[in-house]
Amino acid sequence: MADKNREVHELLADYAAALRDGCIPTFLKSLTRKEAQILAGSQEFWDAADIVRALNGVAFAEKAVTPSVTLFLSRIEAEIASRAKAKGSLRGKRTNGARSATKMENRIDKPV
Amino acid sequence: MDKGLRRALRDLTAQDAESRRKAMDRLARDTFEVFIRYLYRYLGNEADCEDVLEDVYAGIWENPDHLRNVTNWRQFLRTVYLYYMRGPLREIYRRRNRYLTLSEEDLNRLVAPELGVLGLMSQNELREQIQRMLKKLTVPERKCVQLWMKGASYRAIANELKTTVGAAKMRQFRTLLKLKAMFDDSYRQD
Repeated sequence: MADKNREVHELLADYAAALRDGCIPTFLKSLTRKEAQILAGSQEFWDAADIVRALNGVAFAEKAVTPSVTLFLSRIEAEIASRAKAKGSLRGKRTNGARSATKMENRIDKPV
Repeated sequence: MDKGLRRALRDLTAQDAESRRKAMDRLARDTFEVFIRYLYRYLGNEADCEDVLEDVYAGIWENPDHLRNVTNWRQFLRTVYLYYMRGPLREIYRRRNRYLTLSEEDLNRLVAPELGVLGLMSQNELREQIQRMLKKLTVPERKCVQLWMKGASYRAIANELKTTVGAAKMRQFRTLLKLKAMFDDSYRQD
């Protein structure tokens, strides 16, 4: 991905290779402003990217190495517990009256 | 859709914590493999898939209401993607790369696109459809896609097709667009 003046088909080829190799962030970082504009304006790129994802799913998703479900369940439990804790601490802070009324209003108005 | 899974989805909104925990356990065990493979289409990387999936299940635990009335697998997949998966998918690379040239809208479109026909297909359906479509391509086009699917580099594809790397990339691009048109046609006919 050293080339900095890639055309749309080259960008697609690099996106496809990055997806296959699991390094999308590298591809994202490699984009120049001009290339980002090319992507934004090219419907062909988005159409081809749709198919690349499907091909990636068919060709490589089956080979993906996954952890055991039991192990993963403990990760989920930990995540749920940490979210609950974060929520709890937020609630605690709110009740001690440290927030101004304006801040509280802003918080309520914020779209989810 | 499996009866047990449907019951689990209903029990996720139960009042007692024990029933909810059991339902969550069942849901995760039944869907884990499918979701990991599904996310792999978008991310291509196991570690990222696991991170997103962790958020997906935690999101379901926190707010399971959207899943209460789900009756079939396609509806389930659609609901999970729209309400629980798309958000974490959008976040995963934004968190890591704060200074991207790609606009937020395009980043979302790339990593967590709108759910189309392809997005709603199961692995098996997708595999069958792709095999069918590949047969309709010309020999060099098919070769180009199949070699890519086997993990060949563009240099190797170019060597195989006796052409340059640039031409191989262009051929792949044109072939993918042809496949996309075929998928759209077949969807319209169905």
